[in-house]
Amino acid sequence: MEEKVLTKNFELKNYYKIDVYLKEKGYEAVRKAFEKMKPEQILEEVKKANLRGRGGAGFPAGVKWGFVPQEVPKPKYLCVNADEGEPGTFKDRYIMSHNPHLLIEGIIITSFCVGIHKAFIYIRGEYEAVAQRLEQAIFEAYEKGFLGKNILNTGFDLDVFVHRGAGSYICGEETALLESLEGKRGHPRLKPPFPASIGLFQCPTVINNVETLSNIPVIILKGAKWFCKKGLPKDGGTRVFGVSGMVKKPGIYELPVGTSLRDIIFKHAGGMKAGKKLKAVIPGGMSAPILRADEIDIKMDFDTLVNANSMLGSAAIIVIDEDTPIIDVLKAVAKFYSHESCGQCTPCRIGTSWINKIVKRLVERKGEKADIDSIQRLANNILGKTLCPLGDAAAMPISSITEKFRGELESYIAG
Amino acid sequence: MSPKFSDQTKKRIKEIIYRYPQKEASLLPILHIAQQEFGFIPVEAERSVAEMLGIKPVQVREAVTFYTMLHSQPVGKYHIQVCSNLSCSLLGAEKLIDYLKEKLKIELGQTTPDGKFTLSTVECLGACEEAPCMQINFDYYGDLNKKKIDSILNGLK
Amino acid sequence: MVKIFIDDKPVKVKEGMTILSAAEQEGIPIPHLCFHPAFASEGSCRMCLVEIEGLPKLELACSTQVREGMKIWTQSERVTEARRGVLEFLLAEHPLDCPICDKAGECKLQDYYEEYGHFESQFREFKEKRDKKVKIGESLILDRERCILCTRCVRFLREITKTQELGMFNRGLRSEISLYDGELINNNYSGNLAEICPVGAITDADFRFKIRSWFLNKGHSICPLCSRGCNISIEYHPGFPRIPRKKRVYRVISRENPEVNGHWICDLGRYEYSYLDENRLENLLLNNNGKEVRLDWERALQLMVPRIKKLYHLKKTSRIALILHSWLTNEELFLISKIFKDDLKLEKIFVVDPPQGEGDGFLLTSERCPNRRGAQEIGFDFKAADLEEIANKTDILIIFGHNLLDHFSLGEIKAALDRIETKLLFTSRGNGLSSLVDVVLPTALIAEKGGSLTNVEGKVQSFLPALEPVGESRPEWQVLVNLAKKLKVSFSYYRPFTSPAAIFQELEKEIPFFKQKND
Repeated sequence: MEEKVLTKNFELKNYYKIDVYLKEKGYEAVRKAFEKMKPEQILEEVKKANLRGRGGAGFPAGVKWGFVPQEVPKPKYLCVNADEGEPGTFKDRYIMSHNPHLLIEGIIITSFCVGIHKAFIYIRGEYEAVAQRLEQAIFEAYEKGFLGKNILNTGFDLDVFVHRGAGSYICGEETALLESLEGKRGHPRLKPPFPASIGLFQCPTVINNVETLSNIPVIILKGAKWFCKKGLPKDGGTRVFGVSGMVKKPGIYELPVGTSLRDIIFKHAGGMKAGKKLKAVIPGGMSAPILRADEIDIKMDFDTLVNANSMLGSAAIIVIDEDTPIIDVLKAVAKFYSHESCGQCTPCRIGTSWINKIVKRLVERKGEKADIDSIQRLANNILGKTLCPLGDAAAMPISSITEKFRGELESYIAG
Repeated sequence: MSPKFSDQTKKRIKEIIYRYPQKEASLLPILHIAQQEFGFIPVEAERSVAEMLGIKPVQVREAVTFYTMLHSQPVGKYHIQVCSNLSCSLLGAEKLIDYLKEKLKIELGQTTPDGKFTLSTVECLGACEEAPCMQINFDYYGDLNKKKIDSILNGLK
Repeated sequence: MVKIFIDDKPVKVKEGMTILSAAEQEGIPIPHLCFHPAFASEGSCRMCLVEIEGLPKLELACSTQVREGMKIWTQSERVTEARRGVLEFLLAEHPLDCPICDKAGECKLQDYYEEYGHFESQFREFKEKRDKKVKIGESLILDRERCILCTRCVRFLREITKTQELGMFNRGLRSEISLYDGELINNNYSGNLAEICPVGAITDADFRFKIRSWFLNKGHSICPLCSRGCNISIEYHPGFPRIPRKKRVYRVISRENPEVNGHWICDLGRYEYSYLDENRLENLLLNNNGKEVRLDWERALQLMVPRIKKLYHLKKTSRIALILHSWLTNEELFLISKIFKDDLKLEKIFVVDPPQGEGDGFLLTSERCPNRRGAQEIGFDFKAADLEEIANKTDILIIFGHNLLDHFSLGEIKAALDRIETKLLFTSRGNGLSSLVDVVLPTALIAEKGGSLTNVEGKVQSFLPALEPVGESRPEWQVLVNLAKKLKVSFSYYRPFTSPAAIFQELEKEIPFFKQKND
């Protein structure tokens, strides 16, 4: 069986408690980073590991850290993006509940590398139980001297706080997260300037996803080469795939980057539930363009999926069966984005709701074929024209569903 | 009639404000506390929070109306929030929502006359492996069916 | 300077400019709604998207800075398609009630649809229904259906007046602009909101349903209600009174001047324009034993001139008193100074201005007259008017303006004026002084004459007439030139000034402060 990295020891009782964690060689990565490495070396290693962001966008973490200016008269911040809102995604919930100290290690090493002394974990408001567990783990880490002043006598200070969101998918977008953290509405900001230079409280800020940061300790301990070998050269490590929908064993599955989608569904997640047949798969969270049943022989890594006109995103796999009318899938997608649009920019604010209104009409069989053309035209008018990626996240799945399943939609409309 | 934070709460709030280099950043945590204390966020609470943070009440209302979890109107003792997103609907969320509407005799967004239950649908809760699921106040319940829902609701006093 | 290409045309622009300003400079319009030069780029309307060589997505012209060699296309197919897309979105959820909307004729949505739209609506759904008549200020009404959420109003109240009366509530399509808890907008710049709103969402109750914008002519002028000298545009119906309309002037709006008022005017200057049309004096009147006799200018001057000349020849000009005000232009004050101070050698010259008000720390000054600084530089002093001094041993009193009424009671003034044999009043409106003097002469207002004013900061601004004088009224400078000609005292080895500009040339030569300051 593949060696687990992030989900290691999940089955161990109380692994989230620091005493148990320490017994299992916990915080060794932190020790190694402080005692044996310099920040520049850590940065080099993370860059060589080709660790891609695991929140959805897949931006290389090392490159992102490299954008932060070295010497600035302002404090630097780390924001941990725990606003897991991409439909189908639940992996960060597991990591934070079962392995909070791994995340804390990642936070400490990242902060040490970039020169950050205050980190905020922005966690979605609904994850209250998880937030409490995190707070407890942080408290334990302070007690044992891994956080606070003069960590392990190195002279390095770091404070970590948990900051709860209040129900808004858009706050998972990094600049909207910053706005929300600053006490405002979650309206994404214009880029440039990028958070690495003007971020939280106008200071240089690194924003990384929970899973991304949780991979830092193993990169420190085992090195970039090992990490790349574990996954793919340009896309190293493992992914915690979250499988849900019509499968026998929905749940998380930590597997190497590049594992076949078919294998994940049929080998690991037990295959289709109760005699259902596969119709379609959404491979990377709802924002990823849909794949038909005949398109699932595909390696799950960023570049392969981009070439297949989809995306790896948050590696959340939603499995759809033949008994589910595709109109229901379209309905859920359209409803979601129109509900979550922040309302700032014209195409997303009006476009997502316009599409939702048409889809609602189609569901009631009060539509016509031309409405599908309208939906595609509107999705096209949103794609690439919005202030933030939510517009694209709405347009892409809607385009792909109406394109790949046009026939079924037309039949449904015709009654 | 100004809603007052208890002294203990005021202490908590002070500690929270201290964490942030800018006071305004503690708005969301404080609003969560206000909602827990008063059940919702009335206008008077908006004004006193604004005063605490040195911002205008309009900024507080802008935040309260933006976020799904913050309420300007009272909600029932138990706020039942059923996920209606994709994985949950694939696994029958719609039928369960209809069941709850029937059982509680209210429409979505309404509260039972005794003030005990409010029923809403929400988007993805991040518990798709246990679809269909719902959140009641801060507790998650998954792998739902009609029987389970009955027993959960019966257990809520 | 950097060299860039806009629509294949090479241009040289300042480094750091945005594409939008660079294009504007070159006369290439790029449509935009949420952008306003007074605020930082918002980037939310998405109307200003342009194509840049080498970049995969269309970029915003309002926030992208130019770089050496950048190639920008503002009319390519991708750009026109994107613009049409944004317009389609905006018009989909728009009530399209142009027939009852005041903004028609000056509405950005109309203008852009005319220029970049021309598509048929494909919106078959139910539009969002929202409140259409929300009172948000004493003179402001919000129509939420028309609002395109450009947030200019919210940003104005946040960044300019810093009063933040409006906020953006809710999320997504349900977003709306709103007051907090019904607390109305209450600051001295609220009127600017109706101006900066690109559509008919915020309208001015003062203008609501009164007239269509395309019937109005614009006249440029300077606001005289305080000493800031904000640049204004007076909008009036050119056919009045020949074509029956209820009024002449319908609206006063701001005119941009980065050195004086920026983009704004205060509510006082915006709404208090009734003095332009109400209670105007149109005829010269002679009070003949309680009866009013109409005069013409020739006869009026004939009454004045001999008496003044007589006293001058008797070397008794100390028996002439003069009351001025700071609503007179630099040119007029200069003429008065030459004629009455230098030539006639009057001693009793008083400047009586409207009482001070409260300055608001931004544009509105506490001085409520436009040319106090000008009067100062031309050499008048502002010693307090003393009725005893005015009335004592005075045979002729010439009064400009009616401000005496602000400082003394009618009874007191009457008592003083009754001691004076000949009294002349130059004023633009009927007022309590008219019945106390012998001759009332109608004068034109700042908006109806040309000239220049010096604002509180010493900036000299010249202007042309925006409106025609009403009835028989004339600009004071014309009357003074005529008077000088008739008096034939030394200043006028008579200079036939035919325009305020000509007078200013003399003023410049004599008083160094005004040299090369005309603007």
